[in-house]
Amino acid sequence: MPRSGSRHRRASALALGIGLLALAACAAPQTEASQTYDDWDSVLADADGQTVQLWMYGGDDQGNAYVDDVLSPAAAEYGVTVERVPVTDTRDALNRVFTEIQAGRSDGTVDLIWVNGDNFRTGKAADAWLCDWTGLLPSMAGTDPDDPLLQSDFGTPVDGCEAPWHKAQFTLAYNAEAIPDPPTTLAGVLDWAEAHPGRFTYPAPPDFTGSVFVREVLASVSGGSDKVPATFSEDAYDELSPALYERLSALAPSLWRGGDTYPANEAELGQLFADRQIDITMTYGPATLTDLVADGTYPPETKVLTLEEGTVGNASFLGLPANSDSIAGAMVVANVALSVEQQVAKAQPDVWGQFTVLDIDGLGDADRALFDALPTSPVVPGYDVLSRNAHGELAAEWVPALDDGWRSGVLQE
Amino acid sequence: MSFAPVARRRGTTAQRVQGALLVLPAVLPAALVVGGGIGATLLQAFGLMPVAGPAVARADAFLAHPRELGAAVIVSLAVATVATLVAVVVGTVAAVVIVSGRIGSRLIAALGATTVTVPHLIGAAAIGLLLSDAGVLPRLLGIPPEAWPAWVGGPLWGAVIAEFAWKESAFVALVVTGTLATRIATYDETAALLGAGRWRRFRHVLLPLTMPSIVICAAISFVYALGSYEVSWLLGRTYPEPLPVLAVRLFQGVSLDSRPEAAAVALITCAIALAFVGGTFAALRRTAVWR
Repeated sequence: MPRSGSRHRRASALALGIGLLALAACAAPQTEASQTYDDWDSVLADADGQTVQLWMYGGDDQGNAYVDDVLSPAAAEYGVTVERVPVTDTRDALNRVFTEIQAGRSDGTVDLIWVNGDNFRTGKAADAWLCDWTGLLPSMAGTDPDDPLLQSDFGTPVDGCEAPWHKAQFTLAYNAEAIPDPPTTLAGVLDWAEAHPGRFTYPAPPDFTGSVFVREVLASVSGGSDKVPATFSEDAYDELSPALYERLSALAPSLWRGGDTYPANEAELGQLFADRQIDITMTYGPATLTDLVADGTYPPETKVLTLEEGTVGNASFLGLPANSDSIAGAMVVANVALSVEQQVAKAQPDVWGQFTVLDIDGLGDADRALFDALPTSPVVPGYDVLSRNAHGELAAEWVPALDDGWRSGVLQE
Repeated sequence: MSFAPVARRRGTTAQRVQGALLVLPAVLPAALVVGGGIGATLLQAFGLMPVAGPAVARADAFLAHPRELGAAVIVSLAVATVATLVAVVVGTVAAVVIVSGRIGSRLIAALGATTVTVPHLIGAAAIGLLLSDAGVLPRLLGIPPEAWPAWVGGPLWGAVIAEFAWKESAFVALVVTGTLATRIATYDETAALLGAGRWRRFRHVLLPLTMPSIVICAAISFVYALGSYEVSWLLGRTYPEPLPVLAVRLFQGVSLDSRPEAAAVALITCAIALAFVGGTFAALRRTAVWR
């Protein structure tokens, strides 16, 4: 049947052609210039009636409840509806933005992302963020313009491309019932792990928590955080990383399951800690510890392990994608989230327990009193104790380099 | 599926056009989604659809992680093969029991029907809660976590294989039961009347006649296990990663190069799956029953 065959081929060719044309249209990454604002009043006017999709890590119940029950009603007073979109990893949100930019969409569905570090840098490299907008926010007046944690995010200049949200401190916690005499330095923790085989592990990078733990070990084996240059260079990496991987490879046989495998993320690590399979856990959100102990998930004797050399601290931000279709609404939400009322509410241990980005010393007496009146947690000491001797994050370029090196140098060995 | 030797009827042109029009509403969206998806993945893998910067045709995304890619192919093929084999054996035996009408056959049929409706993600979470070191089973049995074998995250991928085999065996059982309930039953009865025993009937009547269904089921199970992300991610190991887990990790990577690399891994997964399906159909066409 030659006739039918050639018709069949023609139809196939036509279908293929249409498909390729459609794809070619998608392949041109081009977004229109987004709307920009010069004064706050026009932002408020435009924001009224807008819906803001806030994409954030959805695995933190307290964080979810804070956004739904505290932040959203406050934003609603300005006529802005906040829709929380839970993601398992912040990269999912960023990927959504990239995909929409690739598809040429200027009416993007992602309006705000809870972001920091390497995700921020990657978004900035792809011009995915709206920049120079945080200066418009009235609430920015409450922050300290010289605070290094707010000026650069893992070494990437913030440049007004994201609004500060709260501060975090990397924290180790241990079961005091199993460890009556805890180590006081990170090197001591590693030695303790070797003396107690199977009772310690850490999440596998590129998991956020596992990744920061590896950077802490890098600082420890390098003789202190000030010995690791914050800006990335191949030379510094080549000089410093071999000792890190050597130490972690030597540690591996003493880890949970003999280092044969690693928990995939902080949640799996926490599960091992809750099951009493390990005696030390770690988190970038120590605020969650209070609730986990109170509801019986974690051992009642859980205590925070403060290290002599301090741990790394950073700030979390709200990033505004350049192709958002609710830019004004997103700015209003970021401004509300940065207000004294919201920062105090979020710092309540039974709400979320997140440390404020505001400069408490620079606040008025009445506002400062609100922060001073915050109740203390029986598990987690205050930010001043947690952040003692704290050091800043390395430049974001360090993160993928160290993570990849760990996978090939420690995991696959 | 008909097993009678009926000659294929070509039909008139009008009839063929009518037939084509009738299937078009189903075929067109499927072709657009699959074709569009694979097309976009192709463009990304070859650098023609970058997030930022100019589009430059290149194939280096395929060579970026040779060691991890090799390990991923091996572990994906191994897990999918073992899970499929277990599912086919368990599912076929279950189907034979279901059609035998013996005591318990209704129970097995009900269990199979229920299992099919459970999503893989729920199945994976349930298997994880059941079989992990401090899971329900070791607690019930009073076995401490250190003494419990590493089903979840273990070197033999026990929990992953168990989940795929459990879910897919129910699928195989239902399809094979449907096939066995056709006129094959009459061949089976004839053989029984002629004095064939249970095993002989299974070996020489039931198995050859149901083989096309079993092979198709096996191909579907295999391709599913090869491309499934959530089960391997939840119950598997940090290294080596199966292909879909590697693809998703690369897709979420921080560097802008990692998206083409993820697309390359996805394309390789797709190529293996297509090759397997193609091979299955080529093999089926050779069987007498299929013709």
